[in-house]
Amino acid sequence: MAIQEVTGTFKPELIPKETGGDLDDYEDALHVLMKFMGSMSSALEQVSGRGANAIVYQAGKRMGHDAAKMMEKTDNLEQAMDEMGEVLGHEFYYRMWKPAGQENYTIEKGDETIVKLLFMDCVVRQTLRRTGLPQKGPLCYLLYGYMVGAVEEVMGIKGKVDVDHVGPNACLKTLTIKWGGK
Amino acid sequence: MVEILVDEDACVGCGSCVDDCPNDVYKMNEEKWKTEVVNADDCMACLSCHEICPAQAMTHKNIHVAKRLYIDRRVNDVLERII
Repeated sequence: MAIQEVTGTFKPELIPKETGGDLDDYEDALHVLMKFMGSMSSALEQVSGRGANAIVYQAGKRMGHDAAKMMEKTDNLEQAMDEMGEVLGHEFYYRMWKPAGQENYTIEKGDETIVKLLFMDCVVRQTLRRTGLPQKGPLCYLLYGYMVGAVEEVMGIKGKVDVDHVGPNACLKTLTIKWGGK
Repeated sequence: MVEILVDEDACVGCGSCVDDCPNDVYKMNEEKWKTEVVNADDCMACLSCHEICPAQAMTHKNIHVAKRLYIDRRVNDVLERII
């Protein structure tokens, strides 16, 4: 299929009103980015080994801190999760999860609070499926870092995310926050 | 609430879903040697069971179906025309 070139007049403007593309262009761009991210992730793993996870985690954490800067600070974990859900949006749509027999979403364990998060829509998962890469790889660490960074920013305390289970439709993660640690 | 249907005619009784499910939603019925749903309340709709089932015997109803933006619509159009 021949590529059709778009010609027209261009004027400099502060906020462009037109994107100069349609839905197919967005789709193409998304798929190219997915392939690009997948290639980067596997190359990073090949070169850095397990260090790749730490690099991607750190990148995600920085993104999380930046994303949550404008959010209202709170020390209520459930409220923080709700707020973060709005910032992460529909591309990282998640909710707190608990087994049917458990009373509350949060579990207190000494100076730690634990909550299970169920990620239903995830761009990372879609990228991995687009490029045929396994889940739980370095790219997943981007999201772990993102969550930890955002939690640290909102609650002002240390957190960590562990993966419990990954699936093609949803992934279960455990977020642990440690009170009194910064 | 999630509703899980297992097609008993299709299920080959391999037990892959029983082993793979993190929340023990399934159990092997040792008389029929087929999978049965015993704990649907704890299903988080990760659909690992769908992916691992060699017979595609599962159906989940009333779940959040994740976006599948990784699918190339143009490739699908071509496939649909062929199939």
